[in-house]
Amino acid sequence: MTQPKLELVALRKEYDGGDVVAVDGIDLTVERGETVALLGPSGCGKSTTLNMIVGLEEPTAGDIHIDGRSVIGLAPGKRNIGLVFQDYAVFTHMTVAKNLSFGLEIGGLPRSEITRRVGEAAELLGLSSLLKEKAAYLGGSQLQRVAIGRTLVTQPAILLLDEPLSNLEAEARQAMRRELRRLQGKIGLTIIYVTHDQTEALSLADRIAVMSAGKIRQYDRTSTVYGDPAHVFVAGFIGSPSMNLVRGEIRRDGPAISFISDQLQVPLPSRFAGVAPGHGEPVIFGIRPENIMITRPGHPGVTGIVSSVEPRGPEAIVTVRSGNKSLDVVVPAADRPARGDEVVLRIPADHIVLFSGETDRNLSLSPILGAAA
Amino acid sequence: MTAHSDIAPSDVSLPAAPSKDAVKKRGTRRKALGRTLLLPGQLISLFVLVVPLLVAFYMSFTDWSPTRGALSSAQFIGLFNYEELLVYDTRFVEAVLRTLVFGVVCLSLEFLIGLGLAVLFLRRFRGKALLFSMLLTPMMVLPVVVGYTFWMLFQSNGPINQLIELTLGAGAAPDWFKSAISAQITVVVTEVWHWTPLFFLILLSGLNAVPENPVRAAVILGANPRQVFWRVVLPMLLPVIVIAFVIRAMEIIKLFDEVFMLTRGGPGSSTETISLYIYKLAFNDFQLAYGAAAAFLVLIGTLGLVHLLLTPVRNQLLEARG
Amino acid sequence: MSDRPLTMPLALVLALAVIVTLFPVFWIVMTAIKPPTDWNAVPAIWVPGEPTLVNFRTLFDPEALGVYGVGGVSEAATQAVFGSLLASIVATALSVGIGLAAAIAISRYSGGGRATPLVILSGRMFPPAAIAVPFVIIFSTIGLIDTYFGLIAIYIAVTLPFSTWMLKSFVDEVPKEVEEAAMIDGMTRVKAHLTVTIPLIKGGLFATTLFIFILNWSEFLFALVLSYTTIETIPVRLAKYVTATAGTLYGVQAALAVLAMIPLVIAGFLIQNHLARGMTFGAVKR
Repeated sequence: MTQPKLELVALRKEYDGGDVVAVDGIDLTVERGETVALLGPSGCGKSTTLNMIVGLEEPTAGDIHIDGRSVIGLAPGKRNIGLVFQDYAVFTHMTVAKNLSFGLEIGGLPRSEITRRVGEAAELLGLSSLLKEKAAYLGGSQLQRVAIGRTLVTQPAILLLDEPLSNLEAEARQAMRRELRRLQGKIGLTIIYVTHDQTEALSLADRIAVMSAGKIRQYDRTSTVYGDPAHVFVAGFIGSPSMNLVRGEIRRDGPAISFISDQLQVPLPSRFAGVAPGHGEPVIFGIRPENIMITRPGHPGVTGIVSSVEPRGPEAIVTVRSGNKSLDVVVPAADRPARGDEVVLRIPADHIVLFSGETDRNLSLSPILGAAA
Repeated sequence: MTAHSDIAPSDVSLPAAPSKDAVKKRGTRRKALGRTLLLPGQLISLFVLVVPLLVAFYMSFTDWSPTRGALSSAQFIGLFNYEELLVYDTRFVEAVLRTLVFGVVCLSLEFLIGLGLAVLFLRRFRGKALLFSMLLTPMMVLPVVVGYTFWMLFQSNGPINQLIELTLGAGAAPDWFKSAISAQITVVVTEVWHWTPLFFLILLSGLNAVPENPVRAAVILGANPRQVFWRVVLPMLLPVIVIAFVIRAMEIIKLFDEVFMLTRGGPGSSTETISLYIYKLAFNDFQLAYGAAAAFLVLIGTLGLVHLLLTPVRNQLLEARG
Repeated sequence: MSDRPLTMPLALVLALAVIVTLFPVFWIVMTAIKPPTDWNAVPAIWVPGEPTLVNFRTLFDPEALGVYGVGGVSEAATQAVFGSLLASIVATALSVGIGLAAAIAISRYSGGGRATPLVILSGRMFPPAAIAVPFVIIFSTIGLIDTYFGLIAIYIAVTLPFSTWMLKSFVDEVPKEVEEAAMIDGMTRVKAHLTVTIPLIKGGLFATTLFIFILNWSEFLFALVLSYTTIETIPVRLAKYVTATAGTLYGVQAALAVLAMIPLVIAGFLIQNHLARGMTFGAVKR
């Protein structure tokens, strides 16, 4: 078993003498050659985490291991880490070649070695024809290539990219996404993306760590994070439109179990009998909009009125009001009902997710109940 | 683009869209307003700057002097004044060279001290705002007062000499205004005291505007603080440095007030600047035509110098102004 | 690289810089409040034991020094103070007004052209001593020499590039959309500028006014060559005092210098944050 490339252990960062906790004790392991996304809204602590890994900020508590060695107290330049900034932070007063060779010249490498590595990086990133160009005259995706190349030549153990696609036009974004995938496959780098954009995270990463309020809410394979969100926050944050989340309580009637919130009542499958709390206890009911089906009145299910229809290319997002609760449903554009129609929603039992009303955690994944079973 | 011109002229079929004529008319009215607003400034510049300059330009080719009657009766002598200045008037050539030397020495010192202070101000310490204001004080003193103050300070029994004698013993202090070199030193000290704050101010503004991320990128790539400063911060500061130099160069070429109060150009003509020489020519000796020719030579020289100084950043400056 | 603390040696360097910066100001203020016996004392008297305002009184009453048995100045500085105030205030108001119109024209109606900044810079390069030559000739021909009208006209012309360019940089910061919104509401362009643009650059207008005032108040050469008997400004009077007595009336001269300094130091500190912009024609914003 090889050592993990990067390990964060109970990492914590406080500001203003503990008044503000930006990062609240996170653990994270990134394996060699893995691509991980640190995903969360702005202010969730991901940038602070990034700064601590790179060494621009010192943690209040906890440890950071790179290649099994603690790097706490080590200068940023000595951690063998590369960072590509959101705004690229290319040295605009230098040529592309000078940008690429910057780290190597600082490191005092022999001239011939510098030339060789710069040439290689330029080749890899398609910058060969731009080497003599002043960086100030480059466009967005070219700047990004320079920024990536500038750190690649120093052969970092880990490459971190801060919001790598957010400053690019839609088209360049597609191309860069493919490019990053290709690069990763070619040189087997360990890459960490820091992003607030779930599409970016889902398309680039093997594993995603979803952060909110300074904590990692879930760290898992991309498909798992999407299908089995461990936390209400993850469920609400990932997917577009996001998962329907309704606060309500459990009703138990003999062996039958159901979810109730005002007029909304949904029978729950028996797999929840063991994990759900007792009668009258609060839970949060979750169902993805694309998993709900719309049928005509008369069928069994949740009855409601269509309150809005938002076409989105081949699909449409239909919002259905039932009592004082609203549920979003994704339907093929051709099958969309009209505003004001009365419809019945069929909620497939397989796709229902329940979260604890107290801890916000996914009840089916709850480690404590899992251990008891 | 304004709201009006944003209305596409091709939409003429729409009833709400203005006709092409209406759009054009509004455009003309816009331009007329622009011209009207610009007019007072242009007029005053024309009458108070351009006309006198043209008169002076004509005059520089004549032998006119107020003692000889009207300008119209002056004799046209072609390039005689210019030839005289450049070929025979060693006092003029010396004044030019002297002004340039003052410029190079003063600006170098002002830049180095100003940059040093600005870099100090990137550090964290208490009372920064107060010290910042204090260091700017000299800029806010009138040049004449600065000249007078240093004249007082440099008196043979003035406070500077008393401090020198206190530390180096009696007899160590020079009589500043009696020898050429020491008088020149007083001019440099006065100028540097007066205008280092401007370099400090401009460079500190520039340093604070240097984007943070390239600096961090350099740090992550392993650069130490010294390398970060020389290889990243300073090059990014270059346009601001050039601006500071150009502005100060333009001012020091005109150096007059301080020297007038301090030495009147003496002893002899050892601290005489171009402005002081032209002033003496025109207003002490009444050689107005000759003085005008000297003035134009200076203008041409200054234009060339500023052009040279601006070359590295001209495009950046024009782009920045949009 | 920022945010490192100041080390002891660096703190000493900074302290030295502050002392060197403030000493000349300290000396002239102290001299202004010294009685005649202390003016030129050896060893130097750094802080007068008996501070007095007699030097300031002498500026307005030439005989006030008599109590110390010292001959006074030949002429009071009253007229110079009046002249400085008149010329600076009027010229500043007009320069800022004309400059504001021009600034709006350049910023909003692309008056001038791409090269205008360079043209204006060139205008600033001409040494005043050189411009003064034709001024004196033309002004004496048309009877404007030794008049405040003439002096003020020159002050406006000389400070106009500064006021225009400084104000333009402020107008540029006002989004055009704000004016356009007002115009869509039926306002004329002129009215939109008066009620929208100008109130939005109030701070900038204030800073520019003080900056132009500083330039006018400090001006020396033009006042020197254009004044004979009718007009006078403080810098000219200071030079005359020094010439008249070979500079020996230290206290009185210092008092006038301090009087000249006070409004500038106040104005300077009020616009401290805009000084860089003013000095660099708006090229450096803060």
